[in-house]
Amino acid sequence: MTQPFDHSFWTRRAFLGRSSLGLGALALQSLLCNQSHADRQTDGNGLPDLPHFAPRVRRVVYLFQAGGPSQFETLDRKPLLNELHGQPLPKSVLGLQRLTGMSGFQAILPMAGSFTKFSKHGACGTEISDLLPHTARLADRICVVRSMQTEAINHDPAITFFCSGSQISGRPSMGAWLAYGLGSETRNLPAFCVLVSKDANRDQPLYSRLWGTGFLPSEHQGVQLRAGKEPVLYLDNPDGISRAARRKQLDLLAALHADQFAHEQDPEIAARTTQAELAFRMQTSVPEVADLTAEPASTFALYGERAREPGTYAANCVLARRLLERGVRFVQLFHQGWDQHGGLPGGITQQCQQTDQASAALVADLQQRGLLDDTLVIWGGEFGRTAYCQGKLTANDYGRDHHPRCFSIWLAGGGVRAGHVHGSTDEFGYNITDDAVHVHDLHATMLHLLGIDHERLLYPFQGRNFRLTDTAGSVVRGILA
Amino acid sequence: MLLWSTLRVVFFVIAATSLRAQAPDFACEVQPVLAEHCYPCHGPDARQRKAFLRLDSFAAATAKRKDGLQPIAPRDPANSALLARINSHDPAFLMPPPEAKKPLTEKTRALLHRWIETGAGYTQHWAFLPPQQQRTKGNDVESWCRDDLDREVLARLHIEGLTPSPAADRATLLRRAHLVLTGLPPSTDEVAAFETDLTTDAYERRVDDLLQRPAYAEHLASTWLDLARFADTYGYQSDFECRTWPWRDWLIDAFARDLPYDELVTQMIAGDLLPAATQQTRIATAFFRLHRQTNEGGSIEAEWRNEYIADRVDTFGTAFLGLTVGCARCHDHKFDPIPQRDYYALGSYFAIDECGLYPYSTGGIPQPTLRLSTTEQDLEIARLTAEVNSATQNLTLAIESAPTLDDLAPLPAAIAHYTFNELANGKTADTNRPDKPADVPTGVVLTDGERGKALQFDGDSGITLPGIQGFSRDDAFSFTFYIWCPDHKDRAVVLHTSSYTEDADTQGYQVLLREGQLCFEIAHHWPGSAIALRTAALLPLQRWIHVAVTYDGSSRANGMAIYLDGVRADTAIVRDHLAGPAHVRTLQLGARDRDRGFTGGRLDDLMVFARALGSAEILLLATGVRDDSATAKRQQSLDTDQQVLTAREKLTAARKGLHGYVESLPELMVLAENATPPERFVLQRGAYDQPDRTRPVQPDALTALLPFAAAWPRSRLGLAAWTTSPDNPLTARVEVNRLWAQCFGQGLVRTQENFGVLGEVPAQRLLLDALAFDFKNTGWRIKPMLRRIVTSATFRQQSVASASLRERDPDNRLLARGPSFRLSAETLRDQALAAAGLLSAKVGGNSVKPWQPAGLWSDAGVSWGGGDYQPDQGQNAHRRSLYTYRKRTAPPPNLLTLDGTSREVCVARRQSTNTPLQSLVFFNDRVFLECAEALADRMSRELPFAFPAQLDRAFIALSGRAPRPAEHAAMQTMFDLQRAAFFDDQLACSKLLFLLANDPERASLLMVCSTLLASDAVMVMR
Repeated sequence: MTQPFDHSFWTRRAFLGRSSLGLGALALQSLLCNQSHADRQTDGNGLPDLPHFAPRVRRVVYLFQAGGPSQFETLDRKPLLNELHGQPLPKSVLGLQRLTGMSGFQAILPMAGSFTKFSKHGACGTEISDLLPHTARLADRICVVRSMQTEAINHDPAITFFCSGSQISGRPSMGAWLAYGLGSETRNLPAFCVLVSKDANRDQPLYSRLWGTGFLPSEHQGVQLRAGKEPVLYLDNPDGISRAARRKQLDLLAALHADQFAHEQDPEIAARTTQAELAFRMQTSVPEVADLTAEPASTFALYGERAREPGTYAANCVLARRLLERGVRFVQLFHQGWDQHGGLPGGITQQCQQTDQASAALVADLQQRGLLDDTLVIWGGEFGRTAYCQGKLTANDYGRDHHPRCFSIWLAGGGVRAGHVHGSTDEFGYNITDDAVHVHDLHATMLHLLGIDHERLLYPFQGRNFRLTDTAGSVVRGILA
Repeated sequence: MLLWSTLRVVFFVIAATSLRAQAPDFACEVQPVLAEHCYPCHGPDARQRKAFLRLDSFAAATAKRKDGLQPIAPRDPANSALLARINSHDPAFLMPPPEAKKPLTEKTRALLHRWIETGAGYTQHWAFLPPQQQRTKGNDVESWCRDDLDREVLARLHIEGLTPSPAADRATLLRRAHLVLTGLPPSTDEVAAFETDLTTDAYERRVDDLLQRPAYAEHLASTWLDLARFADTYGYQSDFECRTWPWRDWLIDAFARDLPYDELVTQMIAGDLLPAATQQTRIATAFFRLHRQTNEGGSIEAEWRNEYIADRVDTFGTAFLGLTVGCARCHDHKFDPIPQRDYYALGSYFAIDECGLYPYSTGGIPQPTLRLSTTEQDLEIARLTAEVNSATQNLTLAIESAPTLDDLAPLPAAIAHYTFNELANGKTADTNRPDKPADVPTGVVLTDGERGKALQFDGDSGITLPGIQGFSRDDAFSFTFYIWCPDHKDRAVVLHTSSYTEDADTQGYQVLLREGQLCFEIAHHWPGSAIALRTAALLPLQRWIHVAVTYDGSSRANGMAIYLDGVRADTAIVRDHLAGPAHVRTLQLGARDRDRGFTGGRLDDLMVFARALGSAEILLLATGVRDDSATAKRQQSLDTDQQVLTAREKLTAARKGLHGYVESLPELMVLAENATPPERFVLQRGAYDQPDRTRPVQPDALTALLPFAAAWPRSRLGLAAWTTSPDNPLTARVEVNRLWAQCFGQGLVRTQENFGVLGEVPAQRLLLDALAFDFKNTGWRIKPMLRRIVTSATFRQQSVASASLRERDPDNRLLARGPSFRLSAETLRDQALAAAGLLSAKVGGNSVKPWQPAGLWSDAGVSWGGGDYQPDQGQNAHRRSLYTYRKRTAPPPNLLTLDGTSREVCVARRQSTNTPLQSLVFFNDRVFLECAEALADRMSRELPFAFPAQLDRAFIALSGRAPRPAEHAAMQTMFDLQRAAFFDDQLACSKLLFLLANDPERASLLMVCSTLLASDAVMVMR
């Protein structure tokens, strides 16, 4: 299914690293007082000491629901809010938590009961909203976490925190860390692919830093596959340059480089030729993987007819499966539009209609292809929403502000405790009562499933060893099978 | 000299035999091990220190402890507790503890043993001692040397038993000089001219010429833009555009003039505070305003204000000192002598009077700012200012000649008067304008008032009053009303004129309660550009009070007044710096969107007057008591005297003329002194809302590096003096290292961002110190330093390395060969444009938008800040890459692929990678393809039908040298094959060419040129 490891060279220092193992270099290093904190680069096959232990999964697909989906209408039922609908949220529940500048100045904060119905699903009996009928059918295959929490209270820092383990500044993204640490299982596709829905309501922007490399070498940055004629930027030859003509160019390049190597003796020259050949292969492998037209009708029955339209969330879910099949390490989907400060009932209904079937289909599809056992699927946003209404509470309408202190996500796949609900919140859905899972904990757990000790995947930068989990995080045993 | 050569020999012996039982070098070998494995718990950070043990000083590490043990007993390994702990097999006893996951290796344990055995010598970290003059002098083998720096290099090579490489050929050397000094390749004519110029100083003359070119200054500036995190947008969330390019142009100009580096740094830190400050030196301070800013709705202002200060401190540390100062934000630095206190002390200089959020709706620019004017505009400003002065004098004269009258009207007419006595159909009316009633939402109710009925507010709903004149900053006005406040209000909006949201959008005038005190504020942008008063006393609660606020249109706080119950209130001036328009968008009472309303508060009998009422008038309004004093009569006489009124109108018109003109000038964010500096404390864990009130901080510098001299002011001017002091051990080293990196592709200290304990110890440490010493002792001049480097014998060496040398020194740290490195993203594009003859020579100005694939901004949903990317046409499509528009949340994709940075934070060093996506950029990006075509065009124009010669000249244009026979043959082969193919497929040929169809030779040449752009000879400087 996945292609075998290929030890191709991805970076300029690959050859140098090898040659520096010679005896002379060793002697010189001690004389030169070489330091452990000089450049550290890898060759795209990951770090030699990884994985640290036997991994449960080899790849990850992260279905990022940007904007902050409300837990009250999806995965965390709070009947008390319906009972007390319209009454102010008690001060004792609010505590001293900070609120955003959008609702924090409201004179009253009325509780808002959910408009949705919840039912128990599967043998496990997990309660899931009727807005997510397809996800509900997977109840026995997913692990719902109702006790996620984060630190940031606004979109930009919160989504940056989820994607990089830090609210501020240019840290590497999750996928970049994995590409750096574990490398790729395919030589024809990037290790880290990003898919952004075109059919989403773009109420909040996304930023390329969310899949950037920060201080890691730039080769590890996520490559966005875009819907349309050219899935990867600059992939297509210019008009008039056929594949045969490009072949001639590469032959010229190889000849030039052979002569240059003869004169300069620099092994990096050969690496450049290799990279150009790899690019040549990507020009066929990427369009092949991005082209869904050859998928059978059963695929579209499973993911929904929307998946026929390139760039939709549903199509991106199909594409994600195709990328995973071919050995891509980390696929991250982004679907915007979950930021319902007002008009929540209508807004969230539409969001669920756009995403529910395809999200569930991806899990089912991976399972029927035997990939789910060694793939981790994560569904969730950057924070949750408040138990109280932002703005005017009316008979048929309400909104919810950002709420970082508790919210819900789900996971599926290898090593995940299926049919389980982890953690709980108080009856107002405002504070966590049991088993809080911090963003760093989720990252630590994701790395753990990949066979990585999150405290030992390090990169030295500006005099300090950085890691995805900063200085915190612990593996959440409760969500592991 | 004798002493020195003896030292050399000693050093040689130590170095050569260090693998045997000789004392290891503390700085190079031992300290890095201690720092990584021990200092986190036993280092400089006092708060994290375990067992009261510190190992970063000889005295502490060798002192006997209470239990009689000695952590380190010099020359006595058996009695050194440290060695017992690191060699223990008991996990409970072992150090470092297993859970730290930083185990020592066999080799490092042996190293520590050997170090203690040989005396456990400590030395101060090399980079924290001032660089000393080096006295290496020539001897018989040194005819190779052209400069003292070569003597340093050679001395080091001799220790290693290495010899320099032969000189590079002339063409290679010429290309190097052009690329490292200007970022552009030599033209084919320049290559030819140099080839035939056989005078002995041909190269030096060329270098001197290059240093005078505008391209030199542009290239130097380009190397600073990553440090400056320079971009054209604010960078967070909706990522609006901001104006920053005047700073970039200042930088180019500074390099062109060869402004000494100490002055350059001083201007960036404190250009506004210099005795001879000019517009240019003030622009320089924008360096500290180029960080990202947010305007995301709901963000907490104080949190972001704190982040901005943190960015300035980090950038100061990285750019000027090569230190990771930011590590001391949450705790004392773990490795370097930077206590947390020093971090916050440094931040004090950068706590400007700003709002942590930039405006969302007003389109304004975060304060403080500088209005940018030309010399002609300065003359106009002077003329308009003179008009204001003359109108002021005329007013004074009119006042002096006005008679005092006896028979006076009691009050001027109000232009609006809301009694709030009744609600009709949910509306309440202005008695002057019954046709324009205000809607009263359900949350606002009628209640008993001081005069009939009054309004009571719920805190969430306000009422908007239509049809009332929106006064400008130049208009005089007064508001009077009754207020009833139910309880102590930390913050409550009583009356305001801004339409929307948070502090940065607060514009116009407003009456607020803050900490129970009544405030009257007129703002352009709160707080940096505003005038404001606050009553000294708390507003009395639960009784009706008459309030009057008056303003005379002077744009000064002393032109404002607050009266309570008819008496002028004792007030403090909170802000007195109104530097922009105070546009009024609406007039609302009792609440504001996303602000704290006047919950439970009541207002009654609101009156608005189109001039500043006098005290007698207000007394009359508030109490019905008529003031018959002479002063009151005099005041009222003036307010009715026709000549005075005319003179006031003229003054208002003159002010509007001046302000209107000034406000039309472009604005630039800069640093300015904060007239109301905040109290600052160490923040626990760096959190904005966790000040440690037991640890206040004052402005200071990194005291362990260099104490702050008593003679220096505790202002940014003093900080600049500290930074550029000859005794500062880092500033000169960091800059010289940066210049070295510009020429060699990597610094002598490769960790350009970190000269601290965990930074790299340079293999050529004496060389760096010699250059740093010379740099600051010869006037901090950049051009002469670059000239020294590029004319040195070291720089002139060929870069070819034998397999054994490459194995011995893979990264060329010893400099036994010349530089070679892949060119930067910017240089790669500029080189292609220059070779093709497309490059625009225009210097400076607005950033430009060369072609990029369509839809990238809108795809990401980041088009809020102004639609999708619209590529420029014509000359602006071909400007140098330092002018390319940088949207931080969606940077130019080709620059990013070629290792450019996204300009989110200060970056001192780029990565250099080699990926397939880079190959796709060279071959397929329209920007590079256009260059290939233009170069092919140029060749067919210059050498019509001489195809072999066209190939050769294209090669020279891109690589600066003639192709070798094998290279020429390869190009010719491809050209012939492709020409034949295009003869067979003319459609493909015509598709490829933008201009002329069906020219197989030109199309084939284009493809050769396109391939060259992806080739090593072009993308790498060797």
